[in-house]
Amino acid sequence: MSQSGPQVADSPATGTPSRASSPTPPDPTAPSGFARVRGLIGGGGPAVALVVLIAFFSIATPNFFSVSNASSLLSQLSILLVISIGLTFVILLGSLDLSVEGVMASSSLVFVLLAANDRNDLSLGFVALIAGVLTGSLFGLLNGVLHVYLKVPSFMVTLGTGAIGVGLATVLFGGRAPRLMDDGLRGLGFGNVGIFPKLALIAILVLIVALLVQKFTRVGRYGYAIGGDEPVVRLSGVNVERYKVLSFVLAGTGSGIAGVMAAMQLGVGDVSIGAGFQFTAITAVVLGGTALVGGIGGVGKTLVGAAIITVLANGLILLGVNPYVQISVQGLVIVVAVVATGWSLRKRVRAIK
Amino acid sequence: MTTQTPTRPRAAVASGITVKDRVIAVFPLLVLIVLVLLVLTQQPNFLSIASVRGLLESMAPILLLAIGQTFVILTGGIDLSFAVVSSLSTVLLALWLPDMGVGALILVPILACLTGVLTGTVVAFAQIPSFIVSLGAMGLWTGVALTLSSASTIRISAGYDVIGWVTDMRIGGLPVSALIAILLAIIISVAIRVLSRGRALHTMGLAENALLMSGNPTRAYRILAFALCGLFSGLAGVVLASSQYSGGPSLGDTLMLPAIAAVVIGGNAITGGVGGPLKTLVGALIIVVLRVGLNAIGIDPAYEQIIYGAVIIGAVVLTIDRSRLGIVK
Repeated sequence: MSQSGPQVADSPATGTPSRASSPTPPDPTAPSGFARVRGLIGGGGPAVALVVLIAFFSIATPNFFSVSNASSLLSQLSILLVISIGLTFVILLGSLDLSVEGVMASSSLVFVLLAANDRNDLSLGFVALIAGVLTGSLFGLLNGVLHVYLKVPSFMVTLGTGAIGVGLATVLFGGRAPRLMDDGLRGLGFGNVGIFPKLALIAILVLIVALLVQKFTRVGRYGYAIGGDEPVVRLSGVNVERYKVLSFVLAGTGSGIAGVMAAMQLGVGDVSIGAGFQFTAITAVVLGGTALVGGIGGVGKTLVGAAIITVLANGLILLGVNPYVQISVQGLVIVVAVVATGWSLRKRVRAIK
Repeated sequence: MTTQTPTRPRAAVASGITVKDRVIAVFPLLVLIVLVLLVLTQQPNFLSIASVRGLLESMAPILLLAIGQTFVILTGGIDLSFAVVSSLSTVLLALWLPDMGVGALILVPILACLTGVLTGTVVAFAQIPSFIVSLGAMGLWTGVALTLSSASTIRISAGYDVIGWVTDMRIGGLPVSALIAILLAIIISVAIRVLSRGRALHTMGLAENALLMSGNPTRAYRILAFALCGLFSGLAGVVLASSQYSGGPSLGDTLMLPAIAAVVIGGNAITGGVGGPLKTLVGALIIVVLRVGLNAIGIDPAYEQIIYGAVIIGAVVLTIDRSRLGIVK
């Protein structure tokens, strides 16, 4: 191991794109404004790819580079971004959260059924919104506690809790999608402010909060260290368990917010409201430059990853490419990205599960 | 010395058996018996031939998928793409049966096997955790299945005779698909006991480094486990296509959770090295009886998913071998 955890933890914002490809350590002196942004979103590969993609689609299709398409791009990006941001905190630990779709389903239904709806007489207003988001947080807490204290691999726990989330949503769903009748709540996420979709404004707010959490809180800082080298962090007296659980709570909260956003956008609570997001969100995080082995990456990089996925999806549809091919491509991207970051870490004698 | 290696872990395990291990070994069987008795009190004709036939019919694809997954879980890995591969197999069958007939029936399981070889090769040579590689594979094959089928269910009419017997044929009133699946589970269990290298996959899960140091081709073993998983997913696809008279890009996807649940609740440790197809058979029986039982005591099928999720987590918590886990990620 050339880099130990604490070193990584000291310089998350200045960025170490990958252990393999950056022989020079990040400049320890105060970075300029440009370098700061570069460090945040990750210079090089992903950002360049995003620019190239935008340029390509602008030339290749007449409709891509327009105000209306920019608006729809932002709207498509919003929910994916919020999920991916949450997921980033867990992937930084080297763990994975596969419960996104189930959590989104549950939180969307909790939200809609507690707000004014066409199923029951409840109309709790903002309490419903908070309850929807907290549903996600609770799932995150459950994931974290089961994973950390019972020592079950995170993908296995979240596979199970994801199923529980879908099941809970199916029970709440009761055969017909409940409609959200509270126009005030619906208006928070539906429609535009100027050319800005309201969902995008929510996503930007989440992004800012997540960046602050990542940079200025212990759960954010220790996350890098734990993902980089957990035993060292443990030996230095950090309550690793607590911060791991908190990271899962952040991820669950992200999925919870995303579920509520999707319910606002569609005006219904639905079991399949998160369908397809799990996979896309993992791809977005990995594409942005957060390594699945943990310790490297960040929320800012995830923004670039999510933007690449969204631009690619939108542009390819405008070009008339079969949308199903994109699922295959995303699958390949995950594997290739992981193989590429892990190739130099292979050992001759090593058991890998 | 080298030739003795496969037997050594068995000795190590035998000496290290604790009370907990013994409880875990018989627990699934007890659960199954209690479940059957409980259902019998609600449905006295539960063990009638018609009822058992229905039970076994719904078990066949789950059991085939679960046996395949058992090989991978024995090595300590997991293949999350297996259910999707079975869906892809149904699509390929639906597309090829009209023209190729028996050829499709042979070719599709082979291709399914090759998807496993691919996943296994990437896991073995790039040394990446299997759940990530198979997650990627899951996306890859979902996309392929959706593209080939244009995201719609394809009805099989011409050439259905080739796979029709899987659903229609009965031996002693019981469906041949389930009987074949059970027979396969038994044959594999016997092979594991009889063959000199039969416990190679167990040893992979228990002490891969030791196996490697003593000159065994651990990469080949790993690829073999994934290849077998792919092959059995393909067979599950054949059973599904036959019973549904069609191929669909997500026909087998809903079987992913019940199949994984069957493997872990049967007592196969997710950390590898402990278990076998017979345990998986017990697990699969528990899952299908549970499904029927819930219906019998009047629980909404909507709760099924919650129970699968809880069963998976609960079984893994009980069977996981924490002494062999370093950092849990």
